[in-house]
Amino acid sequence: MTAPPGEPLLVVSDLAKTFTAKRGWPVPTTVTVRAVDRVSFTVARGDALGIVGESGCGKSTVARACLRLSEPDSGSVRFDGVDVLTASGARLRALRRRLQIVFQDPASALDPRQRIAEALGEPIRVHGIARGKDVLTTVERLLDEVGLPASAARRYPHEFSGGQRQRIGIARALALGPDLIFADEPVSALDVSVQAQILVLLDQLRARRQLAFVFISHDLGVVRHFCQHVAVMYLGRIVEQGPVPTIFDEPLHPYTQLLKASSPVPDPDNAVAMRLQEGEPPSPVAPPPGCHFHPRCPFAMDRCKAVAPPLRETAPGRIVACHLYG
Amino acid sequence: MSAVASARAVTTAAAPLVVEGLTTSIRIGGRWFDAVREVSFEVRGRETLALVGESGCGKSLTALSIMGLLPAGVGRISGGRITVDGIDITAASEAGRQAIRGERIGMIFQEPMTSLNPVLPVGFQIAEGLIQHRGMRRRDAMARALELMELVRIPAAAQRLNAYPHQFSGGMRQRVMIAIALACAPKVLIADEPTTALDVTIQGQVLALLADLQAREGLAVLLITHNLGVVASVADRVMVMYGGDVVESAPAKPFFRRPTHPYSEALLAAMPRVDRPSQALAPIPGQVPTLPDMPTGCRYQSRCPLRIEQCAERPPLNALPGDPDHRARCWVRAP
Repeated sequence: MTAPPGEPLLVVSDLAKTFTAKRGWPVPTTVTVRAVDRVSFTVARGDALGIVGESGCGKSTVARACLRLSEPDSGSVRFDGVDVLTASGARLRALRRRLQIVFQDPASALDPRQRIAEALGEPIRVHGIARGKDVLTTVERLLDEVGLPASAARRYPHEFSGGQRQRIGIARALALGPDLIFADEPVSALDVSVQAQILVLLDQLRARRQLAFVFISHDLGVVRHFCQHVAVMYLGRIVEQGPVPTIFDEPLHPYTQLLKASSPVPDPDNAVAMRLQEGEPPSPVAPPPGCHFHPRCPFAMDRCKAVAPPLRETAPGRIVACHLYG
Repeated sequence: MSAVASARAVTTAAAPLVVEGLTTSIRIGGRWFDAVREVSFEVRGRETLALVGESGCGKSLTALSIMGLLPAGVGRISGGRITVDGIDITAASEAGRQAIRGERIGMIFQEPMTSLNPVLPVGFQIAEGLIQHRGMRRRDAMARALELMELVRIPAAAQRLNAYPHQFSGGMRQRVMIAIALACAPKVLIADEPTTALDVTIQGQVLALLADLQAREGLAVLLITHNLGVVASVADRVMVMYGGDVVESAPAKPFFRRPTHPYSEALLAAMPRVDRPSQALAPIPGQVPTLPDMPTGCRYQSRCPLRIEQCAERPPLNALPGDPDHRARCWVRAP
């Protein structure tokens, strides 16, 4: 049950997810949102792929669809040679052990009335990794691995600070010995000093366990630090993708350029782009035709309003969806 | 000291906001603890002073103290003086304080959705302050509200005067908040994490709008933020707080060129940057002690790599040699 030689650990092709909602009063109409629009990417073992973009661009939906937390409409997700979207029964259970997720707010992902020993022990027992007294030993080893004392096992989630709770969230994701973790804004709710502690921990885990990550974040600095590859999403589509240093040093897509110029850095000689006149991201309910970014793009041409640019390779491993480059 | 005192005497009349020795206490388990200790600063017209620090450092409590929004029975100002536009509000009566704050200080918060009333149209919420503090008639106040919505560059303002907060995006809601804050033409604007909940491209727009309004109206802006990147982009001066103490105070450029307090230095070293190749992050070990557990003396000592015996005593906020504007509270770095 391993991938053919040369195939990356995770291969996502043409993933699409549409949501419908009833809107309006007194006569509601059904609106459709293409949250994820034919998204493709791969992640190699031990590699971290960052997905960046602003609220509503579909980056969290990608993670949820890959994990079947919400079933995608179409596309395929292959993990280590197994088709994730059609797997069922024992095969799906085996996949669940190897694919895990860490959420932004671990407080809302932990049961407030469950001690940590129980929260971490439950998946270990359910998946038969340990039994009886060994469960607690396994829990304590996990807590140690994420930098918490063994005594944490007897306590409740509210007794921990935000950073400690995120360590618990990570310990729970590690409990089943996964190969790949989807991390959805794992450090966004934390203060910068604690954020650095968690990033250092994730770095260590990736190296020690050869873990792969799909790391979802709106913070370009964090992604530059943690990831080897990055995909930039705008209104459901990937607009640019490639290796981390080149994307951030020479962003090609005008949206990536805007994101980078808007990301604050602690350098008074390098202030963020502050433009008074500039649009907001359009509603995902009615995205503009052609390139979704054209109403905000300083380089927009007639073609951009009519035809959505396909993703093209501009250098090995580097793709961009923009009429400026083709 | 005398130089500082005389400088203050000269500028007090000019600075719209002057805070001297502000101490704010918080009640925990029946006992009062100082959560803001002897904080002094002034913000001049057209100037932006950034108050920086992590959760629990006292930066928001400082703002709430100025606004008189401390929760009754839990928080109180236990010392110091706050002067707004030349008037000592700590000495004024409650009614006088309300009038001064409503008219002369505007405030915007992190999450506009929780500060706006969801069941009232935004136009009325902007007009409310004018009716209350200026005694304007509703119709005139609504006309002024429309002007304010145009001032904060809300597109199609006339059609949206009677829209409700949920019909606006996060960035547009923050613009509505700014319009409310500026309705009575205050001299002072307190912005508590005004862009933290916004996407970065929208953050840039809101910061640009604030800078534009500040220049136009001559506002003194007290910016409260945890984001040193935002500080570098917009602040004239920086004050770093830790455990209720101001640990460093400097004009922005010297601060970023030569962060002096070990905590300021650590904050900068812990920040992953998009403009530089990935390098080892240096997390600050441990966490901020809770108020009852604060060490006596320097409050950062339990996490500080430079700690010496003298740190058991509280260091003063000393000027650095050759730079009277750049001050740090550290026995090692600014003895």
